[in-house]
Amino acid sequence: MKVLLVEDNERVTRFVVKGLQEAGHVADHADNGRDGMFLAASEPYDVIIMDRMLPGHIDGLAIIETLRKSGNRTPILILSALSDVDERIRGLKSGGDDYLTKPFAFGELLARLDALGRRAQGSGTQTSLRVGDLHIDLLSRKATRGARAIALQPQEFKLLEYLMRHAGQVVTRTMLLENVWDYHFDPQTNVVDVHISKLRQKIESDSERPMLRTVRNAGYMLTDDE
Amino acid sequence: MMNRLLRSSAFTVAFSYVAFGMVALVFFAAPLWYMWQVTIQEERIEYLRADTQRMSEVFRRQGAPGLATFIDARVGMQIAGERILLLTDSTLHRLAGNLAEWPVVVPLEPGTYTLPINLSSKPTRAMFVHTVLPGGYNLLVGRDLALFAPLTTRFWYGLTGAVVVLSIAGVLGGFMIRRAVLLRVDGIRQTVQAIVHGDWSHRLPTKSSNDELDTLARTFNGMLDQIEQLLHGVRDVSNAIAHDLRTPLAELRSRLEELALTRPGPEEAFAEIDAAVVDVDRVIRIFNALLRLAEIDTGMRRSGFVAVNAADIAKQAVDFYLPAAELKGIALSYRGSGPAAISGDPVLLAQAIGNLIDNALKYTSDGGAISVEVQNLPDSRVRITVADNGPGIPDEEKPKVPNRFYRGDASRGTPGVGLGLTLVASVAKVHGGALELTDNHPGLRAHMVIDTGAGWNGAARAEPAEASTPPQRSASLGTESVQPG
Repeated sequence: MKVLLVEDNERVTRFVVKGLQEAGHVADHADNGRDGMFLAASEPYDVIIMDRMLPGHIDGLAIIETLRKSGNRTPILILSALSDVDERIRGLKSGGDDYLTKPFAFGELLARLDALGRRAQGSGTQTSLRVGDLHIDLLSRKATRGARAIALQPQEFKLLEYLMRHAGQVVTRTMLLENVWDYHFDPQTNVVDVHISKLRQKIESDSERPMLRTVRNAGYMLTDDE
Repeated sequence: MMNRLLRSSAFTVAFSYVAFGMVALVFFAAPLWYMWQVTIQEERIEYLRADTQRMSEVFRRQGAPGLATFIDARVGMQIAGERILLLTDSTLHRLAGNLAEWPVVVPLEPGTYTLPINLSSKPTRAMFVHTVLPGGYNLLVGRDLALFAPLTTRFWYGLTGAVVVLSIAGVLGGFMIRRAVLLRVDGIRQTVQAIVHGDWSHRLPTKSSNDELDTLARTFNGMLDQIEQLLHGVRDVSNAIAHDLRTPLAELRSRLEELALTRPGPEEAFAEIDAAVVDVDRVIRIFNALLRLAEIDTGMRRSGFVAVNAADIAKQAVDFYLPAAELKGIALSYRGSGPAAISGDPVLLAQAIGNLIDNALKYTSDGGAISVEVQNLPDSRVRITVADNGPGIPDEEKPKVPNRFYRGDASRGTPGVGLGLTLVASVAKVHGGALELTDNHPGLRAHMVIDTGAGWNGAARAEPAEASTPPQRSASLGTESVQPG
């Protein structure tokens, strides 16, 4: 993926650029709003990471609004130290696609970037999803693995659907909380992990190949790969 | 001294009252004066007419010479100047009386007149009744008004005296009131000064009189109590922050310093770095919780209130925590009596209910039970209850639990930062309610009693679709990154 990072803090920039390169992405960066705007408008990027408070009292949201008005549809992840729920809503309203508060874990950023980049390439509305021999029908809300039918609670179905839509990508606990349960807080107990292990028991019987992996320090990944 | 006196509010008040009293006195005296004047005037005319009547009678019986004799006799008996009497013939030739000639100012037509005149070559005012008797005789009966002057003077003396007495009484009263008020104001000033200098044990002196100053003092004392409580709160918070943030920070610091000093092999170094990140995450978590609390406490989130169903939120929270409860061998159940419509912030309510369940899970042991209940109370309030049968909280600790960073003895050694219930209390407060902790015999019952808010009914009726779907605000938050792609 080709990523543009608009961020004025040198250390954060170094950390993110290095991390992205290690993950196999190409990263450009701009340390002010004017350069960021110029790069975003002139080069094709898969994802843009936009800091909110930029030098010269420029709010990243203003740049996003300008980009969107000029017809640029590149997915944008807003990176900000402003954590209020209201600020988050403002960020998404201005045309951002996701919002991540500083300080953040790199794994979280990478997972969200993957989700955004993949989304942009996605096809239209689907009525069923398939990963290996795991299949779900979104209309009848039925799940099967090979010939075996899997009985799922509505919540488990939602969780599996989200994981399947992001198959092959790491999804973090926070992403699951926000998107499956619509929760914007951090439950102190490992509730998400318990949900995952319950789902894992249902979709992976003893004779079947494991599909739902735990990625250390990051989250989970549903994959058909060996 | 004079300046201070004039600036004193008590003196100003007293002075204003005196001035007002004087104006009132004038307004009171003016009609009195007028009535008195009119009455006396009529009385005088009546006297003069009666005199005239009597003399006409004498004239009728004894003719002009008889009247002349009568008048001369009276003039002789009279104290000089009290009555003015004059009888003339039709040519104004004097026949009898104590005037030398007909006064030119008096008109020749009969009638009653009040006129300036010279009497014994002294200018004065006099009142006359002029009668024309049969045969053209002119009878003039009059009275010098200067004789009444002392009476008028006495009236003005009286009025002046009243004004003087009023002024003196007012000024004295002003001084006395000022003294009394100053004494109490001084007491207040001294107390406030002591408080400004940091001694919070002082309170304004109050009496049982319940007068204005007393009410004011009581209000001030209430405010001081509140401020003192807040100060204690701030001190508690800083102590707690010092403890809860410093501990992981100290750990982090020593970890990093040790790394720099010992320069261990890569394997050990990476393990230390991972541990350092965990320390930082803990600090960030406390920090986020504090920011969230500040965000709620300022009440700004109220702008994000929408019509929500508290029962749905609670049910979803129960579903969310169910697997975790099962894993611990705890029976988590939801009991509700239908929908509970309130005007609120779904994000905050979910977090508050989540925190309560989380808390209950933490303190309930294997085989325990937690029930979540949502009830519509008759007084248009909704009660969300999370009850467990864990160890509970001792009664004396219950009021302290929602305090920031408060952690009961039982919770030492368990994970958590001690802000969970504080957040629940803040969320309840921002929804016009409160967090109440009671005993579950055994265990804890945490009630969040919330005002349903006025906005719901209207909103539900106007947009019935919105009431059944998740509120827009949270939907816009959540679905942004889930859109199928």
